[in-house]
Amino acid sequence: MYRGREGQWAFVLHRISGVAVALFLLLHVIDISLVMFGPEGPFEAFLVFYHNWPFRVGLIAVIAAVVYHGLNGLRIIVMDFTSWGVRYQKPMWYGVLGLTAIIGVPVLWKIVPEILRGA
Amino acid sequence: MQINVKIKRFDPEADKRPYWADYTLEARGSDRVLDVINHIKWEVDGSLAFRRSCAHGICGSDAMLINGVNRLACKVLVQDLGTKIVVEPIRGLAIKKDLIVDMEPFFDSYRAVLPYFINDDPPPPTERLQSPEERAVFDETTKCILCAACTTSCPVFWTNGSYIGPASIVNAHRFIFDSRDQGKLERLKVLNQGSGLWRCRTAYNCTEACPRDIPVTQAIEEVRREMLWRA
Repeated sequence: MYRGREGQWAFVLHRISGVAVALFLLLHVIDISLVMFGPEGPFEAFLVFYHNWPFRVGLIAVIAAVVYHGLNGLRIIVMDFTSWGVRYQKPMWYGVLGLTAIIGVPVLWKIVPEILRGA
Repeated sequence: MQINVKIKRFDPEADKRPYWADYTLEARGSDRVLDVINHIKWEVDGSLAFRRSCAHGICGSDAMLINGVNRLACKVLVQDLGTKIVVEPIRGLAIKKDLIVDMEPFFDSYRAVLPYFINDDPPPPTERLQSPEERAVFDETTKCILCAACTTSCPVFWTNGSYIGPASIVNAHRFIFDSRDQGKLERLKVLNQGSGLWRCRTAYNCTEACPRDIPVTQAIEEVRREMLWRA
């Protein structure tokens, strides 16, 4: 493993979160489109299936991926379009991580008890 | 002190794939990694192959992947690495033998950006004058020694060897922002291709790796903005 620093990990996380969100979106479009067979049947079955705890944990990961990818995208825009952005790429990345964590708190607050209750 | 050096070795005529060779030897903290591998070549195993020339950080021959980071072997001290040193050839270029890689694709990309002064006006009777401010715009990118530490630290280059790479963009920057030069549009045309400037994903490994402390990513972004707004 190349011992890159903040920039390399920002890039790796951006790529992984981007692919993850794209795959999730594909799955999401497929399961939502099942509603054309009526509100019950496969559509309902999928929604029930998604209440299994691995998917609830996955939901936390997807939300984190969306938030990280969006915020780091803003960081990249700043680097691309301002003369000073590159100089502040490291503090901006820590800001991205911090904001992602802060936004994650209410998400965890909502979802973790549901997982523990088995809801 | 006693140090342990692991070197990734490969002889295409004898080996199927690269292997790790282990050397234990005495070294001082003030020795450079180049001193250490010179010692191995001269005293332990003469078959070890690597490039080096000036040994003072100017010729750019001895870029290697040392303890996970691209650096010049002649600019790293043993005391900054500890007693375990791992040396590999730089990545993304074919290994010719041991630490020697085929630099030709790297130099092909370098030549592609027309890294020389272009100005078809007849030469003036005196110098082509330039203000200190005009010179300062591209000062950093004049410092490149073409060691390839930046390009071979780039994750995009590892997976897509046709990417023109940070070193070429740095050398294009040096002329694109030269007030006396007239080849800007030609260079931007080269850099605007699919394997050009837009492949950069701002991983900053190039900037961290540059032994000349060139702000490489900054230079890439400046060329991008030049392309976007003024080409």
